[in-house]
Amino acid sequence: MSIMSYNGGAAIAMKGKNCVAIASDLRFGIQAQTVGMDFEKVFPMSDRLYLGLTGLATDVQTVVQKLAFQLKLYELRENRPISPKTFLSVVSNVLYEKRFGPYFIEPVIAGLDPKTSEPFIASCDLIGCPMEPEDFVVTGTCAVQMYGMCEALWQPDMEPDQLFECVSQALLNSVDRDAGSGWGAVVHIVEADKVTTRRLKARMD
Amino acid sequence: MAGGAADCSFWERVLAKHCRVYELRNKERISVAAASKLLANMVYGYKGMGLSMGTMICGWDKRGPGLYYVDSDGQRLDGNMFAVGSGATYAYGVLDAGYSYDLPIERALALGQQAIYHATHRDAYSGGNVNLYHMKETGWEHIGWTDVLKLHYQYKNEKK
Amino acid sequence: MTERYSFSLTTFSPTGKLVQIEYALNAVTTGSPSVGIKAQNGVVMATEKKQKSILYDEQSIHKVEPITDKIGIVYSGMGPDYRVLLTRARKIAQSYFLQYQESIPTAQLVHRIASVMQEYTQSGGVRPFGVSLLICGWDNDRPYLFQCDPSGAYFAWKATALGKNHLNGKSFLEKRYNEDLELEDAVHTAILTLKESFEGVMTEDNIEIGIANEEGFHRLSPSEVKDYLASIA
Repeated sequence: MSIMSYNGGAAIAMKGKNCVAIASDLRFGIQAQTVGMDFEKVFPMSDRLYLGLTGLATDVQTVVQKLAFQLKLYELRENRPISPKTFLSVVSNVLYEKRFGPYFIEPVIAGLDPKTSEPFIASCDLIGCPMEPEDFVVTGTCAVQMYGMCEALWQPDMEPDQLFECVSQALLNSVDRDAGSGWGAVVHIVEADKVTTRRLKARMD
Repeated sequence: MAGGAADCSFWERVLAKHCRVYELRNKERISVAAASKLLANMVYGYKGMGLSMGTMICGWDKRGPGLYYVDSDGQRLDGNMFAVGSGATYAYGVLDAGYSYDLPIERALALGQQAIYHATHRDAYSGGNVNLYHMKETGWEHIGWTDVLKLHYQYKNEKK
Repeated sequence: MTERYSFSLTTFSPTGKLVQIEYALNAVTTGSPSVGIKAQNGVVMATEKKQKSILYDEQSIHKVEPITDKIGIVYSGMGPDYRVLLTRARKIAQSYFLQYQESIPTAQLVHRIASVMQEYTQSGGVRPFGVSLLICGWDNDRPYLFQCDPSGAYFAWKATALGKNHLNGKSFLEKRYNEDLELEDAVHTAILTLKESFEGVMTEDNIEIGIANEEGFHRLSPSEVKDYLASIA
Protein backbone atom coordinates (compact mmCIF):
# COMPACT_ATOMS: atom_id res chain seq x y z
CA MET A 1 0.00 0.00 0.00
CA SER A 2 1.41 3.33 -1.08
CA ILE A 3 1.44 6.12 1.49
CA MET A 4 0.46 8.54 -1.27
CA SER A 5 -2.93 6.83 -1.66
CA TYR A 6 -3.60 6.10 2.02
CA ASN A 7 -6.16 8.91 2.32
CA GLY A 8 -7.12 9.42 -1.32
CA GLY A 9 -7.95 12.73 -3.00
CA ALA A 10 -7.64 14.78 -6.16
CA ALA A 11 -6.78 18.35 -7.11
CA ILE A 12 -6.57 20.13 -10.44
CA ALA A 13 -5.74 23.60 -11.77
CA MET A 14 -6.32 25.08 -15.20
CA LYS A 15 -5.45 28.23 -17.10
CA GLY A 16 -8.07 30.26 -18.95
CA LYS A 17 -8.20 33.69 -20.58
CA ASN A 18 -7.24 36.19 -17.83
CA CYS A 19 -8.38 33.63 -15.23
CA VAL A 20 -7.38 30.41 -13.54
CA ALA A 21 -9.38 27.59 -11.98
CA ILE A 22 -8.38 25.34 -9.10
CA ALA A 23 -10.50 22.54 -7.69
CA SER A 24 -10.37 19.52 -5.41
CA ASP A 25 -12.56 16.67 -4.20
CA LEU A 26 -13.76 16.56 -0.58
CA ARG A 27 -13.06 12.99 0.51
CA PHE A 28 -11.01 12.18 3.55
CA GLY A 29 -10.66 8.42 3.84
CA ILE A 30 -8.49 5.81 5.48
CA GLN A 31 -7.88 3.31 2.74
CA ALA A 32 -11.37 2.01 1.78
CA GLN A 33 -13.15 3.70 4.65
CA THR A 34 -14.62 7.11 3.91
CA VAL A 35 -14.30 9.12 7.11
CA GLY A 36 -15.01 12.70 6.05
CA MET A 37 -16.71 14.43 3.15
CA ASP A 38 -15.68 18.02 3.83
CA PHE A 39 -11.90 17.83 3.50
CA GLU A 40 -10.98 20.62 1.09
CA LYS A 41 -7.59 20.23 -0.52
CA VAL A 42 -7.40 23.74 -1.98
CA PHE A 43 -6.12 26.49 0.33
CA PRO A 44 -6.14 30.25 -0.26
CA MET A 45 -2.57 31.45 0.42
CA SER A 46 -3.11 35.12 -0.39
CA ASP A 47 -5.47 37.41 -2.28
CA ARG A 48 -5.21 35.77 -5.72
CA LEU A 49 -3.04 32.77 -4.91
CA TYR A 50 -4.31 29.23 -4.25
CA LEU A 51 -2.54 26.03 -3.31
CA GLY A 52 -3.90 22.52 -3.89
CA LEU A 53 -2.37 19.62 -1.97
CA THR A 54 -3.10 15.91 -2.24
CA GLY A 55 -1.47 12.89 -0.66
CA LEU A 56 -1.08 11.95 2.98
CA ALA A 57 -3.61 14.10 4.86
CA THR A 58 -1.36 14.73 7.88
CA ASP A 59 1.38 16.02 5.59
CA VAL A 60 -1.13 18.11 3.64
CA GLN A 61 -1.91 19.99 6.86
CA THR A 62 1.73 20.26 7.94
CA VAL A 63 2.90 21.56 4.58
CA VAL A 64 0.06 24.03 4.25
CA GLN A 65 0.91 25.48 7.66
CA LYS A 66 4.62 25.57 6.87
CA LEU A 67 4.00 27.38 3.60
CA ALA A 68 1.56 29.84 5.17
CA PHE A 69 4.28 30.60 7.72
CA GLN A 70 6.93 31.14 5.04
CA LEU A 71 4.54 33.27 3.04
CA LYS A 72 3.64 35.56 5.93
CA LEU A 73 7.33 36.02 6.75
CA TYR A 74 7.96 37.00 3.13
CA GLU A 75 5.06 39.44 2.99
CA LEU A 76 6.07 41.12 6.24
CA ARG A 77 9.76 41.27 5.31
CA GLU A 78 9.23 42.58 1.81
CA ASN A 79 6.01 44.47 2.45
CA ARG A 80 4.45 43.27 -0.80
CA PRO A 81 2.38 40.31 -2.00
CA ILE A 82 4.30 37.28 -3.29
CA SER A 83 4.07 36.44 -6.98
CA PRO A 84 2.85 32.93 -7.83
CA LYS A 85 6.15 32.17 -9.57
CA THR A 86 8.13 33.11 -6.47
CA PHE A 87 5.75 31.08 -4.32
CA LEU A 88 6.44 28.07 -6.54
CA SER A 89 10.12 28.29 -5.71
CA VAL A 90 9.34 28.59 -1.99
CA VAL A 91 7.24 25.40 -2.28
CA SER A 92 10.00 23.71 -4.23
CA ASN A 93 12.62 24.60 -1.61
CA VAL A 94 10.44 23.56 1.33
CA LEU A 95 9.89 20.16 -0.30
CA TYR A 96 13.50 19.61 -1.37
CA GLU A 97 14.61 20.35 2.20
CA LYS A 98 13.14 16.93 2.98
CA ARG A 99 14.73 15.21 -0.04
CA PHE A 100 15.63 12.07 1.90
CA GLY A 101 12.48 11.82 3.99
CA PRO A 102 9.86 13.65 2.01
CA TYR A 103 6.39 14.93 2.81
CA PHE A 104 4.02 12.58 1.01
CA ILE A 105 2.16 15.29 -0.87
CA GLU A 106 2.04 16.67 -4.39
CA PRO A 107 1.08 20.33 -4.73
CA VAL A 108 -0.55 22.34 -7.49
CA ILE A 109 -0.48 26.14 -7.53
CA ALA A 110 -2.87 28.51 -9.27
CA GLY A 111 -3.08 32.26 -9.15
CA LEU A 112 -2.80 35.61 -10.83
CA ASP A 113 0.34 37.73 -10.64
CA PRO A 114 -0.35 40.52 -8.12
CA LYS A 115 1.13 43.15 -10.45
CA THR A 116 0.22 42.06 -13.96
CA SER A 117 -2.74 39.71 -13.25
CA GLU A 118 -1.06 37.20 -15.57
CA PRO A 119 -2.59 33.72 -15.04
CA PHE A 120 -0.23 31.18 -13.49
CA ILE A 121 -0.44 27.46 -12.80
CA ALA A 122 2.24 25.04 -11.67
CA SER A 123 2.81 21.75 -9.91
CA CYS A 124 5.59 19.93 -8.08
CA ASP A 125 6.43 16.33 -7.34
CA LEU A 126 6.82 15.31 -3.69
CA ILE A 127 10.50 16.28 -3.51
CA GLY A 128 10.04 19.66 -5.18
CA CYS A 129 10.67 19.35 -8.91
CA PRO A 130 8.68 22.28 -10.32
CA MET A 131 6.66 22.21 -13.54
CA GLU A 132 4.93 25.13 -15.27
CA PRO A 133 2.81 23.94 -18.17
CA GLU A 134 0.68 26.07 -20.52
CA ASP A 135 -2.64 24.37 -19.91
CA PHE A 136 -3.42 22.33 -16.76
CA VAL A 137 -1.91 20.55 -13.78
CA VAL A 138 -3.33 17.60 -11.86
CA THR A 139 -2.45 15.68 -8.73
CA GLY A 140 -3.97 12.90 -6.65
CA THR A 141 -4.98 9.26 -6.77
CA CYS A 142 -6.89 9.80 -10.04
CA ALA A 143 -4.21 11.90 -11.77
CA VAL A 144 -4.25 9.62 -14.81
CA GLN A 145 -8.00 10.00 -15.22
CA MET A 146 -7.67 13.79 -14.91
CA TYR A 147 -4.92 13.90 -17.53
CA GLY A 148 -7.25 12.03 -19.87
CA MET A 149 -10.20 14.34 -19.19
CA CYS A 150 -8.07 17.49 -19.49
CA GLU A 151 -6.46 16.40 -22.76
CA ALA A 152 -9.98 15.97 -24.15
CA LEU A 153 -11.71 19.03 -22.70
CA TRP A 154 -9.09 21.78 -22.35
CA GLN A 155 -8.78 24.49 -24.99
CA PRO A 156 -6.89 27.77 -25.00
CA ASP A 157 -8.43 31.12 -23.98
CA MET A 158 -11.51 29.85 -22.14
CA GLU A 159 -13.71 32.48 -20.48
CA PRO A 160 -14.33 32.07 -16.72
CA ASP A 161 -17.69 30.28 -17.14
CA GLN A 162 -16.29 27.94 -19.80
CA LEU A 163 -13.30 27.25 -17.59
CA PHE A 164 -15.61 26.41 -14.67
CA GLU A 165 -17.51 23.90 -16.80
CA CYS A 166 -14.30 22.39 -18.13
CA VAL A 167 -12.55 21.97 -14.78
CA SER A 168 -15.73 20.66 -13.10
CA GLN A 169 -16.38 18.04 -15.77
CA ALA A 170 -12.74 16.99 -15.78
CA LEU A 171 -12.68 16.57 -12.00
CA LEU A 172 -16.09 14.93 -11.50
CA ASN A 173 -15.68 12.39 -14.26
CA SER A 174 -12.18 11.53 -13.06
CA VAL A 175 -13.08 10.99 -9.40
CA ASP A 176 -16.00 8.77 -10.43
CA ARG A 177 -13.46 6.41 -11.99
CA ASP A 178 -11.35 6.33 -8.80
CA ALA A 179 -12.33 4.61 -5.56
CA GLY A 180 -10.08 6.85 -3.48
CA SER A 181 -11.50 10.25 -4.38
CA GLY A 182 -14.79 12.04 -4.87
CA TRP A 183 -17.59 12.48 -2.31
CA GLY A 184 -18.12 16.10 -3.34
CA ALA A 185 -15.97 18.78 -4.94
CA VAL A 186 -15.12 22.47 -4.62
CA VAL A 187 -14.10 24.76 -7.49
CA HIS A 188 -12.50 28.22 -7.33
CA ILE A 189 -12.47 30.48 -10.38
CA VAL A 190 -9.89 33.24 -9.88
CA GLU A 191 -10.25 36.45 -11.88
CA ALA A 192 -8.55 39.84 -11.48
CA ASP A 193 -11.63 41.46 -9.91
CA LYS A 194 -13.18 38.48 -8.10
CA VAL A 195 -12.89 34.89 -6.95
CA THR A 196 -15.92 32.60 -7.36
CA THR A 197 -16.15 29.49 -5.18
CA ARG A 198 -18.71 26.77 -5.87
CA ARG A 199 -19.50 23.35 -4.36
CA LEU A 200 -20.38 20.67 -6.92
CA LYS A 201 -23.07 18.01 -6.57
CA ALA A 202 -21.21 14.74 -6.93
CA ARG A 203 -21.71 11.00 -6.67
CA MET A 204 -21.43 9.90 -3.07
CA ASP A 205 -20.19 6.33 -3.58
CA MET B 1 -22.09 -12.31 -4.35
CA ALA B 2 -19.00 -10.31 -3.67
CA GLY B 3 -15.26 -10.78 -4.15
CA GLY B 4 -13.43 -11.91 -7.26
CA ALA B 5 -15.71 -11.06 -10.18
CA ALA B 6 -14.61 -14.00 -12.32
CA ASP B 7 -14.81 -16.45 -9.41
CA CYS B 8 -18.30 -15.31 -8.54
CA SER B 9 -19.71 -15.36 -12.05
CA PHE B 10 -18.09 -18.71 -12.86
CA TRP B 11 -19.16 -20.59 -9.73
CA GLU B 12 -22.63 -19.18 -9.91
CA ARG B 13 -22.86 -20.61 -13.43
CA VAL B 14 -21.56 -24.00 -12.29
CA LEU B 15 -23.92 -24.03 -9.32
CA ALA B 16 -26.88 -23.23 -11.58
CA LYS B 17 -25.92 -26.15 -13.80
CA HIS B 18 -25.76 -28.55 -10.86
CA CYS B 19 -29.12 -27.35 -9.61
CA ARG B 20 -30.67 -27.90 -13.02
CA VAL B 21 -29.18 -31.39 -13.31
CA TYR B 22 -30.51 -32.19 -9.82
CA GLU B 23 -33.96 -31.05 -10.91
CA LEU B 24 -33.86 -33.27 -14.05
CA ARG B 25 -32.69 -36.37 -12.12
CA ASN B 26 -35.09 -35.98 -9.19
CA LYS B 27 -38.08 -34.28 -10.81
CA GLU B 28 -37.95 -31.85 -7.93
CA ARG B 29 -36.30 -28.51 -7.20
CA ILE B 30 -33.17 -28.65 -5.08
CA SER B 31 -33.44 -27.35 -1.53
CA VAL B 32 -31.64 -24.17 -0.48
CA ALA B 33 -29.61 -26.19 2.02
CA ALA B 34 -28.47 -28.65 -0.67
CA ALA B 35 -27.72 -25.95 -3.22
CA SER B 36 -25.61 -24.00 -0.79
CA LYS B 37 -23.81 -27.15 0.28
CA LEU B 38 -23.02 -27.99 -3.36
CA LEU B 39 -21.30 -24.62 -3.71
CA ALA B 40 -19.50 -24.93 -0.38
CA ASN B 41 -18.18 -28.39 -1.28
CA MET B 42 -17.05 -27.27 -4.73
CA VAL B 43 -15.09 -24.25 -3.53
CA TYR B 44 -13.68 -26.28 -0.61
CA GLY B 45 -11.92 -28.41 -3.23
CA TYR B 46 -10.05 -25.31 -4.32
CA LYS B 47 -9.21 -24.14 -0.80
CA GLY B 48 -5.89 -22.32 -0.57
CA MET B 49 -5.70 -21.78 -4.32
CA GLY B 50 -6.81 -18.17 -4.14
CA LEU B 51 -10.55 -18.22 -4.82
CA SER B 52 -12.24 -15.14 -3.39
CA MET B 53 -15.98 -15.20 -2.85
CA GLY B 54 -18.53 -14.23 -0.29
CA THR B 55 -22.03 -15.32 -1.21
CA MET B 56 -25.51 -15.50 0.14
CA ILE B 57 -27.86 -18.11 -1.25
CA CYS B 58 -31.51 -17.69 -0.59
CA GLY B 59 -34.61 -19.42 -1.82
CA TRP B 60 -37.85 -21.04 -0.81
CA ASP B 61 -38.32 -24.79 -0.44
CA LYS B 62 -40.29 -27.37 1.58
CA ARG B 63 -38.79 -25.94 4.76
CA GLY B 64 -39.95 -22.44 3.84
CA PRO B 65 -37.64 -19.51 3.27
CA GLY B 66 -33.92 -20.41 3.44
CA LEU B 67 -30.82 -18.26 3.68
CA TYR B 68 -27.24 -19.47 3.70
CA TYR B 69 -23.87 -17.82 3.76
CA VAL B 70 -21.10 -19.51 1.77
CA ASP B 71 -17.60 -18.20 1.25
CA SER B 72 -14.48 -19.31 -0.59
CA ASP B 73 -12.88 -20.63 2.59
CA GLY B 74 -15.59 -23.28 2.55
CA GLN B 75 -17.49 -21.73 5.44
CA ARG B 76 -21.26 -22.34 5.26
CA LEU B 77 -23.79 -20.88 7.67
CA ASP B 78 -27.55 -20.57 7.78
CA GLY B 79 -29.16 -17.56 9.33
CA ASN B 80 -31.76 -14.83 9.13
CA MET B 81 -29.54 -11.95 8.05
CA PHE B 82 -26.21 -11.67 6.25
CA ALA B 83 -24.09 -9.15 4.40
CA VAL B 84 -21.01 -9.88 2.28
CA GLY B 85 -18.32 -7.91 0.51
CA SER B 86 -15.90 -5.12 1.37
CA GLY B 87 -18.77 -2.92 2.53
CA ALA B 88 -20.47 -5.66 4.58
CA THR B 89 -19.54 -4.16 7.94
CA TYR B 90 -21.29 -0.90 7.05
CA ALA B 91 -24.34 -2.83 5.84
CA TYR B 92 -24.44 -4.79 9.11
CA GLY B 93 -24.43 -1.51 10.99
CA VAL B 94 -27.61 -0.40 9.27
CA LEU B 95 -29.23 -3.86 9.38
CA ASP B 96 -28.59 -4.32 13.11
CA ALA B 97 -30.14 -0.95 13.81
CA GLY B 98 -33.33 -1.69 11.90
CA TYR B 99 -33.79 -5.46 11.82
CA SER B 100 -36.37 -7.62 13.52
CA TYR B 101 -37.55 -11.08 12.38
CA ASP B 102 -41.15 -9.98 11.94
CA LEU B 103 -40.44 -6.92 9.83
CA PRO B 104 -43.20 -6.33 7.24
CA ILE B 105 -41.98 -6.97 3.73
CA GLU B 106 -41.96 -3.31 2.58
CA ARG B 107 -39.87 -2.35 5.59
CA ALA B 108 -37.50 -5.27 5.01
CA LEU B 109 -36.96 -4.27 1.39
CA ALA B 110 -36.35 -0.66 2.37
CA LEU B 111 -33.91 -1.74 5.08
CA GLY B 112 -31.94 -3.92 2.65
CA GLN B 113 -31.72 -1.08 0.15
CA GLN B 114 -30.70 1.37 2.84
CA ALA B 115 -28.02 -1.00 4.14
CA ILE B 116 -26.49 -1.35 0.69
CA TYR B 117 -26.67 2.38 0.05
CA HIS B 118 -24.82 3.15 3.27
CA ALA B 119 -22.22 0.53 2.44
CA THR B 120 -21.61 2.13 -0.97
CA HIS B 121 -21.36 5.50 0.70
CA ARG B 122 -18.72 4.65 3.28
CA ASP B 123 -16.84 1.95 1.38
CA ALA B 124 -14.62 3.26 -1.41
CA TYR B 125 -14.74 -0.08 -3.23
CA SER B 126 -18.53 -0.34 -3.38
CA GLY B 127 -20.95 1.79 -5.36
CA GLY B 128 -23.05 2.28 -8.43
CA ASN B 129 -26.58 0.88 -8.15
CA VAL B 130 -28.62 -1.00 -5.58
CA ASN B 131 -30.19 -4.15 -6.96
CA LEU B 132 -33.17 -5.30 -4.89
CA TYR B 133 -35.01 -8.66 -4.98
CA HIS B 134 -37.86 -10.11 -3.01
CA MET B 135 -37.69 -13.91 -2.55
CA LYS B 136 -41.19 -15.31 -2.19
CA GLU B 137 -42.79 -18.74 -2.11
CA THR B 138 -43.66 -18.30 -5.78
CA GLY B 139 -40.13 -17.33 -6.76
CA TRP B 140 -38.13 -14.16 -6.82
CA GLU B 141 -39.35 -10.74 -7.84
CA HIS B 142 -37.03 -7.99 -9.03
CA ILE B 143 -37.96 -4.88 -7.08
CA GLY B 144 -35.52 -2.28 -8.30
CA TRP B 145 -32.26 -1.14 -9.77
CA THR B 146 -31.54 2.25 -8.23
CA ASP B 147 -28.64 4.62 -8.72
CA VAL B 148 -27.16 5.42 -5.31
CA LEU B 149 -26.89 9.10 -6.29
CA LYS B 150 -30.70 9.21 -6.30
CA LEU B 151 -30.85 7.37 -2.97
CA HIS B 152 -28.32 9.76 -1.44
CA TYR B 153 -30.46 12.81 -2.00
CA GLN B 154 -33.65 10.90 -1.20
CA TYR B 155 -32.32 9.89 2.23
CA LYS B 156 -30.89 13.36 2.73
CA ASN B 157 -34.31 14.94 2.16
CA GLU B 158 -36.01 12.40 4.43
CA LYS B 159 -33.68 13.38 7.27
CA LYS B 160 -34.81 17.01 7.13
CA MET C 1 41.92 31.44 25.99
CA THR C 2 39.75 32.77 23.16
CA GLU C 3 36.65 33.25 25.29
CA ARG C 4 38.56 35.84 27.33
CA TYR C 5 38.25 38.13 24.33
CA SER C 6 34.80 37.12 23.21
CA PHE C 7 33.05 40.13 24.69
CA SER C 8 32.04 42.94 22.37
CA LEU C 9 34.64 45.66 21.93
CA THR C 10 31.83 48.09 21.21
CA THR C 11 30.65 49.05 24.68
CA PHE C 12 28.74 52.06 25.91
CA SER C 13 30.62 55.02 27.31
CA PRO C 14 29.11 56.59 30.48
CA THR C 15 27.53 59.29 28.31
CA GLY C 16 25.64 56.66 26.31
CA LYS C 17 27.79 56.79 23.20
CA LEU C 18 29.39 53.89 21.40
CA VAL C 19 32.75 55.45 20.75
CA GLN C 20 33.93 52.51 18.63
CA ILE C 21 31.24 53.38 16.14
CA GLU C 22 32.25 57.03 16.17
CA TYR C 23 35.84 55.98 15.50
CA ALA C 24 34.61 53.83 12.62
CA LEU C 25 32.76 56.85 11.22
CA ASN C 26 35.99 58.82 11.52
CA ALA C 27 37.66 56.17 9.37
CA VAL C 28 34.89 56.79 6.83
CA THR C 29 35.12 60.57 6.84
CA THR C 30 38.87 60.44 6.33
CA GLY C 31 38.44 58.01 3.45
CA SER C 32 38.28 59.04 -0.19
CA PRO C 33 34.94 60.60 -1.23
CA SER C 34 32.03 58.95 -3.02
CA VAL C 35 28.80 60.43 -4.35
CA GLY C 36 25.50 58.99 -5.44
CA ILE C 37 22.64 60.67 -7.28
CA LYS C 38 19.23 59.41 -8.28
CA ALA C 39 17.77 60.61 -11.59
CA GLN C 40 14.46 60.05 -13.36
CA ASN C 41 15.76 57.20 -15.48
CA GLY C 42 18.55 55.77 -13.38
CA VAL C 43 21.02 56.28 -10.59
CA VAL C 44 24.73 57.09 -10.67
CA MET C 45 27.53 56.69 -8.18
CA ALA C 46 31.06 57.98 -8.47
CA THR C 47 34.16 57.77 -6.35
CA GLU C 48 37.68 59.08 -6.18
CA LYS C 49 40.41 56.47 -6.65
CA LYS C 50 43.69 58.30 -6.33
CA GLN C 51 46.80 56.15 -6.10
CA LYS C 52 49.99 57.13 -4.34
CA SER C 53 52.30 56.01 -7.11
CA ILE C 54 52.20 56.00 -10.88
CA LEU C 55 53.30 52.36 -10.69
CA TYR C 56 49.79 51.21 -9.66
CA ASP C 57 47.73 49.34 -12.24
CA GLU C 58 44.55 51.45 -11.98
CA GLN C 59 42.28 49.10 -13.93
CA SER C 60 42.73 45.85 -12.01
CA ILE C 61 41.21 46.57 -8.63
CA HIS C 62 37.90 48.41 -8.50
CA LYS C 63 35.93 50.32 -5.93
CA VAL C 64 32.66 50.28 -7.81
CA GLU C 65 31.43 46.69 -7.98
CA PRO C 66 28.28 44.89 -9.14
CA ILE C 67 26.35 42.72 -6.64
CA THR C 68 23.64 41.51 -9.00
CA ASP C 69 22.67 42.42 -12.58
CA LYS C 70 20.71 45.32 -11.19
CA ILE C 71 22.57 46.39 -8.05
CA GLY C 72 25.94 48.08 -7.58
CA ILE C 73 27.96 49.20 -4.59
CA VAL C 74 30.74 51.64 -3.68
CA TYR C 75 32.29 52.76 -0.40
CA SER C 76 34.21 55.35 1.53
CA GLY C 77 36.57 54.12 4.22
CA MET C 78 38.74 51.03 4.53
CA GLY C 79 39.21 48.93 1.38
CA PRO C 80 39.74 45.52 3.07
CA ASP C 81 36.59 45.91 5.20
CA TYR C 82 34.67 46.83 2.06
CA ARG C 83 35.66 43.62 0.31
CA VAL C 84 34.39 41.52 3.23
CA LEU C 85 31.02 43.25 2.93
CA LEU C 86 31.04 42.99 -0.86
CA THR C 87 31.50 39.22 -0.64
CA ARG C 88 28.75 38.97 1.96
CA ALA C 89 26.41 41.10 -0.16
CA ARG C 90 26.93 38.86 -3.17
CA LYS C 91 26.29 35.76 -1.08
CA ILE C 92 23.12 37.30 0.35
CA ALA C 93 21.93 38.15 -3.17
CA GLN C 94 22.64 34.66 -4.48
CA SER C 95 20.97 32.86 -1.58
CA TYR C 96 17.90 35.04 -2.09
CA PHE C 97 17.88 34.06 -5.75
CA LEU C 98 18.33 30.40 -4.83
CA GLN C 99 15.31 30.52 -2.56
CA TYR C 100 12.94 32.59 -4.69
CA GLN C 101 14.26 32.34 -8.26
CA GLU C 102 13.88 36.12 -8.29
CA SER C 103 16.49 38.89 -8.16
CA ILE C 104 16.82 40.43 -4.68
CA PRO C 105 15.15 43.86 -4.40
CA THR C 106 17.65 46.64 -3.55
CA ALA C 107 15.81 47.50 -0.34
CA GLN C 108 16.01 43.87 0.83
CA LEU C 109 19.73 43.66 0.12
CA VAL C 110 20.42 46.90 1.97
CA HIS C 111 18.37 45.71 4.93
CA ARG C 112 20.35 42.49 5.12
CA ILE C 113 23.76 44.13 4.70
CA ALA C 114 22.82 46.61 7.41
CA SER C 115 21.97 43.66 9.68
CA VAL C 116 25.46 42.28 9.10
CA MET C 117 27.03 45.65 9.93
CA GLN C 118 24.92 45.93 13.09
CA GLU C 119 25.98 42.44 14.15
CA TYR C 120 29.60 43.64 14.11
CA THR C 121 28.74 46.36 16.63
CA GLN C 122 27.37 43.88 19.17
CA SER C 123 29.28 40.62 18.70
CA GLY C 124 32.24 39.47 20.71
CA GLY C 125 35.76 39.55 19.36
CA VAL C 126 35.00 41.77 16.39
CA ARG C 127 35.13 45.49 15.59
CA PRO C 128 32.71 47.56 13.50
CA PHE C 129 33.37 47.95 9.78
CA GLY C 130 35.39 51.03 8.86
CA VAL C 131 33.22 51.80 5.85
CA SER C 132 30.04 53.48 4.76
CA LEU C 133 28.46 51.97 1.69
CA LEU C 134 26.52 53.45 -1.17
CA ILE C 135 24.23 50.90 -2.75
CA CYS C 136 22.31 51.69 -5.89
CA GLY C 137 19.92 49.59 -7.92
CA TRP C 138 17.02 49.48 -10.30
CA ASP C 139 13.92 47.44 -9.54
CA ASN C 140 10.19 47.99 -9.33
CA ASP C 141 10.65 50.22 -12.42
CA ARG C 142 12.45 52.85 -10.42
CA PRO C 143 15.91 53.75 -9.12
CA TYR C 144 17.10 53.21 -5.55
CA LEU C 145 20.00 54.77 -3.64
CA PHE C 146 20.97 53.83 -0.09
CA GLN C 147 23.74 54.63 2.34
CA CYS C 148 24.79 52.05 4.93
CA ASP C 149 26.82 53.11 7.97
CA PRO C 150 29.11 51.15 10.36
CA SER C 151 26.43 51.33 13.06
CA GLY C 152 24.01 49.42 10.84
CA ALA C 153 21.91 52.52 10.22
CA TYR C 154 20.82 52.99 6.64
CA PHE C 155 19.29 55.86 4.68
CA ALA C 156 17.52 56.30 1.38
CA TRP C 157 18.86 59.31 -0.50
CA LYS C 158 17.93 61.29 -3.57
CA ALA C 159 21.58 62.32 -3.65
CA THR C 160 24.41 62.19 -1.12
CA ALA C 161 28.13 62.30 -0.60
CA LEU C 162 30.39 60.23 1.67
CA GLY C 163 33.98 60.37 2.86
CA LYS C 164 36.35 63.28 2.88
CA ASN C 165 34.61 66.64 2.37
CA HIS C 166 31.20 65.00 2.38
CA LEU C 167 29.62 68.09 3.95
CA ASN C 168 30.82 70.26 1.08
CA GLY C 169 29.71 67.57 -1.33
CA LYS C 170 26.24 67.51 0.19
CA SER C 171 25.76 71.26 0.11
CA PHE C 172 26.94 71.26 -3.51
CA LEU C 173 24.35 68.59 -4.30
CA GLU C 174 21.65 70.49 -2.44
CA LYS C 175 22.24 73.40 -4.80
CA ARG C 176 22.43 71.27 -7.94
CA TYR C 177 19.77 68.64 -7.33
CA ASN C 178 16.29 68.77 -8.83
CA GLU C 179 13.55 66.15 -9.04
CA ASP C 180 13.46 65.72 -12.82
CA LEU C 181 17.14 65.18 -13.40
CA GLU C 182 18.10 62.91 -16.33
CA LEU C 183 20.75 60.23 -15.83
CA GLU C 184 23.22 61.95 -18.16
CA ASP C 185 22.96 65.17 -16.13
CA ALA C 186 23.29 63.18 -12.93
CA VAL C 187 26.59 61.70 -14.12
CA HIS C 188 27.87 65.21 -14.82
CA THR C 189 26.69 66.43 -11.42
CA ALA C 190 28.36 63.47 -9.72
CA ILE C 191 31.68 64.22 -11.40
CA LEU C 192 31.36 67.92 -10.56
CA THR C 193 30.67 67.06 -6.92
CA LEU C 194 33.84 65.01 -6.75
CA LYS C 195 35.70 67.77 -8.54
CA GLU C 196 34.77 70.25 -5.77
CA SER C 197 37.30 68.68 -3.46
CA PHE C 198 39.52 66.95 -5.98
CA GLU C 199 43.22 67.74 -5.73
CA GLY C 200 45.14 67.53 -8.98
CA VAL C 201 43.86 66.55 -12.37
CA MET C 202 40.84 64.26 -12.69
CA THR C 203 41.32 61.49 -15.26
CA GLU C 204 39.56 58.28 -16.29
CA ASP C 205 42.12 56.44 -14.13
CA ASN C 206 41.55 58.21 -10.85
CA ILE C 207 37.77 58.15 -10.62
CA GLU C 208 35.24 55.35 -11.00
CA ILE C 209 31.60 55.66 -12.01
CA GLY C 210 28.77 53.16 -11.88
CA ILE C 211 25.23 53.54 -13.17
CA ALA C 212 22.04 51.56 -12.68
CA ASN C 213 19.07 51.97 -14.97
CA GLU C 214 16.43 49.89 -16.73
CA GLU C 215 19.15 47.81 -18.40
CA GLY C 216 20.77 47.02 -15.06
CA PHE C 217 23.95 48.04 -13.30
CA HIS C 218 27.38 48.54 -14.84
CA ARG C 219 30.67 50.29 -14.16
CA LEU C 220 31.63 52.78 -16.85
CA SER C 221 34.70 51.83 -18.88
CA PRO C 222 37.70 54.22 -18.75
CA SER C 223 36.89 55.47 -22.24
CA GLU C 224 33.28 56.25 -21.26
CA VAL C 225 34.55 58.11 -18.18
CA LYS C 226 36.99 59.99 -20.41
CA ASP C 227 34.13 61.12 -22.65
CA TYR C 228 32.17 62.43 -19.67
CA LEU C 229 35.23 64.28 -18.38
CA ALA C 230 35.81 65.81 -21.81
CA SER C 231 32.21 67.02 -22.00
CA ILE C 232 32.58 68.77 -18.65
CA ALA C 233 35.85 70.55 -19.34
